[in-house]
Amino acid sequence: MTTQLEAIGAAALQSEPPSAASAPGRDWKRLPRAILAFPAWAWLIAFFLAPVGMVIWFSFGYKPGMFGTHANDVLSLDRYAEALSPTFFATFQNTLWVGVTGTLIILAISVPFAYWLALKAPMRHRGILLAMVMIPFWTNFLIRTIGWQIILAPEGFFSQVLQTLGITDGPLEIMFTRTAVLIGVVYNYLPLMVLPLFVAFDRVTLSLREASKDLGAGRWSTFLHITLPLAKPGLIVGVLLVYIPLMGDYITATVLGGAKGNMAGQMVANQFQTAQNWALGSAMAVVLILTILGTAALAGLIAWLGTWPMRARRRLVLGVEK
Amino acid sequence: MRAWAVLVFLFLFAPILVILIYSFNEGRLLVSWDHFGFGSFAAIVTKPAIRDAVVVSLQTGIISAVLATVLGTMAGVALARRAGRWVPWFLGLLVLVTVTPEIVDAVALLPWLVFLGQDLGLGIFDNGIARLVVGHSLFSTAVVTYIVRSRLIGLDESLEEAAADLYAPPLRRFTQITLPLVMPAVLAGGLLAFTLSLDNTIVAAFIQVSGSTPWPVYVLSAVRTGLRPEIAAVSTIMLVLTLGAIALVAVVLRRSGDSATDIAKTMGGA
Repeated sequence: MTTQLEAIGAAALQSEPPSAASAPGRDWKRLPRAILAFPAWAWLIAFFLAPVGMVIWFSFGYKPGMFGTHANDVLSLDRYAEALSPTFFATFQNTLWVGVTGTLIILAISVPFAYWLALKAPMRHRGILLAMVMIPFWTNFLIRTIGWQIILAPEGFFSQVLQTLGITDGPLEIMFTRTAVLIGVVYNYLPLMVLPLFVAFDRVTLSLREASKDLGAGRWSTFLHITLPLAKPGLIVGVLLVYIPLMGDYITATVLGGAKGNMAGQMVANQFQTAQNWALGSAMAVVLILTILGTAALAGLIAWLGTWPMRARRRLVLGVEK
Repeated sequence: MRAWAVLVFLFLFAPILVILIYSFNEGRLLVSWDHFGFGSFAAIVTKPAIRDAVVVSLQTGIISAVLATVLGTMAGVALARRAGRWVPWFLGLLVLVTVTPEIVDAVALLPWLVFLGQDLGLGIFDNGIARLVVGHSLFSTAVVTYIVRSRLIGLDESLEEAAADLYAPPLRRFTQITLPLVMPAVLAGGLLAFTLSLDNTIVAAFIQVSGSTPWPVYVLSAVRTGLRPEIAAVSTIMLVLTLGAIALVAVVLRRSGDSATDIAKTMGGA
């Protein structure tokens, strides 16, 4: 009985009809296949969960003297207080600013672009166009960023073109500013937003949009009430795919931002590599993860509350009770 | 809208084109253009450090891609076909792996690998390649698992059931039915794992052992000391090779009957 209930529960999780899994006499099949996941379990526990657990443990300790890196005989939350002290807090703020602004710009660029790619671009070219979006994605991250360093250089070609056209008076003074970092991260993470959005828009079939049009909805209305809500899962995946690595990235900031592009990742790295204060570095790492999770949850909540009036109205109009 | 798309494509290709052009720079520094020439390509041959770094990267990439693909495929099949009470826990672990920034993995793995290698005396964790493989395989394992799982969930289980009804033993059923079905996802996942490994800079910079420095870490140290055109030349060669590999996989997938859009989608991990 229990096993049957379990099987039904499992089937429900996969959103498949329960008949196949709950059929009696099939349970023997389950054992060897569940074991298939065991190596991945073991691997991730040994090389992800255990080391990250150790870092969390370090974060409650302290740095003993000049030559020690960490000690845990006295436990406290002092490292967290230190990690959030004004000097370091400013870096967390800067990281958050770059992370949020970068994600928003990427969103603004990729929503119309992915929409065009999935629904408006000529059908037979779509595969090629999509592959073209992925080419930067397959080029080394660091090299792409160095490419921007060349473009944005004050004595570079782009700077000269801008001066010749009279758009800027002097040489381009973007390198080693926050703007340069922003350009770099927008560039580096853009494909990660375009791909899930493309897939999401691709699922919105023409017939649904035509139906909306037939019922008298304008272009914007169709986009806002039909296409966008249906693309929501892709939108969420894209935002997470972009926002999370962006918050931890400090390579882009190192190449394009110089000293001014200080990111939290750099700060963590410094504590481990230069300052040799593993306890403080660990606390910073934990704060970084919590910041990412916290802001992602907050954004989710805001999006949910923000669309609530729209959803409430739609339920009212259609008279659907849930 | 079309104009916007053109602009986005220009934006996407700008730095890559710049790197391609600047790999023919004969100047001493990459960033300042001198004159056209093939000197940087010739210089690669004479600089063993560059060649070694690329070789380390390729070795690590292949081994960690194979590892992540094997682990991820098995886990993905298990998730899609034989779910149980372990599923939420496992998915939770995967989500945790995916949302943890690379820098946290990096600082966590460094003391952990030292602990395993020095304190527990497990010599393999002192080996440079082995360390890099461990570091690069974590995120990729999660990614391959997602891709394989989503592919298999979209496929009907009836073929596998038919095989079972015809008394195919579990192993044979797996190799002859399930594996061919998920093959596009496995290939795409493997390719993604390989490129993720080639790209990995942060974790690699932390856990590398001197003597086996991977390519991105070499470039990163060059960013600090002065970039030479050779770096662009190597990138150009690697870009051409990567594009070749992708084209090959795309051809294989097309043979197996996927449309161009499907291929791109599978490769994008969606």
